[in-house]
Amino acid sequence: MNASEAYNMCRRYHGRHVRITDRDGRVHEGHITRVDRNMVWIRPQGGGGYGLGWGWGWGGGGFGYGIALGAITGIALSAAFFW
Amino acid sequence: MNEYIDLLAYFGIGSAHPGGASLTRSIFEKVSINQDDLVLDIGCGTGQTAQYLAKQFKCSVTAIDHHPLMVEKAKRRFAKEDLPVQVLLGDAEKLDIESQTFNFILSESVISFTHAKETVKELARVLKEKGQLLLIEMAAEASIPKSMKEEVQKLYGVHDIYTGEEWRSILEEAGFATIEEIQTHSSLISSDLDEMDLSESIPMSLYDVWDEHNEMTEKVHGHIGYIVYLASK
Repeated sequence: MNASEAYNMCRRYHGRHVRITDRDGRVHEGHITRVDRNMVWIRPQGGGGYGLGWGWGWGGGGFGYGIALGAITGIALSAAFFW
Repeated sequence: MNEYIDLLAYFGIGSAHPGGASLTRSIFEKVSINQDDLVLDIGCGTGQTAQYLAKQFKCSVTAIDHHPLMVEKAKRRFAKEDLPVQVLLGDAEKLDIESQTFNFILSESVISFTHAKETVKELARVLKEKGQLLLIEMAAEASIPKSMKEEVQKLYGVHDIYTGEEWRSILEEAGFATIEEIQTHSSLISSDLDEMDLSESIPMSLYDVWDEHNEMTEKVHGHIGYIVYLASK
């Protein structure tokens, strides 16, 4: 997934709870709160999740923390029903 | 290959069946498998259940899927976990396996995607006498409007949607003597995806399929659910 595709997907899933994987193999889960041309911000729920110490810029509110679009390898809705 | 199945394969969605991995685990609190049993996980997907069974029951598991990408991801999983699960590419309707091979067969939302009658007969063939088939499958709950049925068939590539009673008949015709319903809360609960193994490059069209699938899930609510049966030969 390139940055432009990542941008489009983040716009598409704006406000929804997603699961984002990055180039370092980390998994980020949360609601997409903001997207610009370079970054997507997600706000984790509860404080679960793994891979990042999200100390900076996130204190349980606001936009959450940012992920560079260029670092994103995959985005998917994190809750779903499957046959 | 149907695009919905491609979606499951490219996103590498683990336990893609109603109830997900948690339903599978709750079933195996009630149903047990012996260590010396030969188990077939038909339509294994990325192999999450096969991994669980091999670890939980220390039984010998063969995992078969029709989708090359699923087979690749399942093989990678077992290599990484160092589990001796045999993974094969194969067609559930026509298996390249000797008759009466397995003690236990598991079909988690797999038969529904095939010609059910042929597949159930084929599974009965490779199952030993007194062997068991556990199935978690899509089932009609009420009369389904014709247009809805057609939409479901088109999106998922399913040939038909059976009621619980029809599933029973199909199993009986294939030679299963007893059919026990395993009680679960049969509702289409969306659950947290606890596992994804994303391919590096995912066709953008599959995101559209995901959206269509989400809409369809809401639409069929109350019309289509699922059954969990344990059938014994």
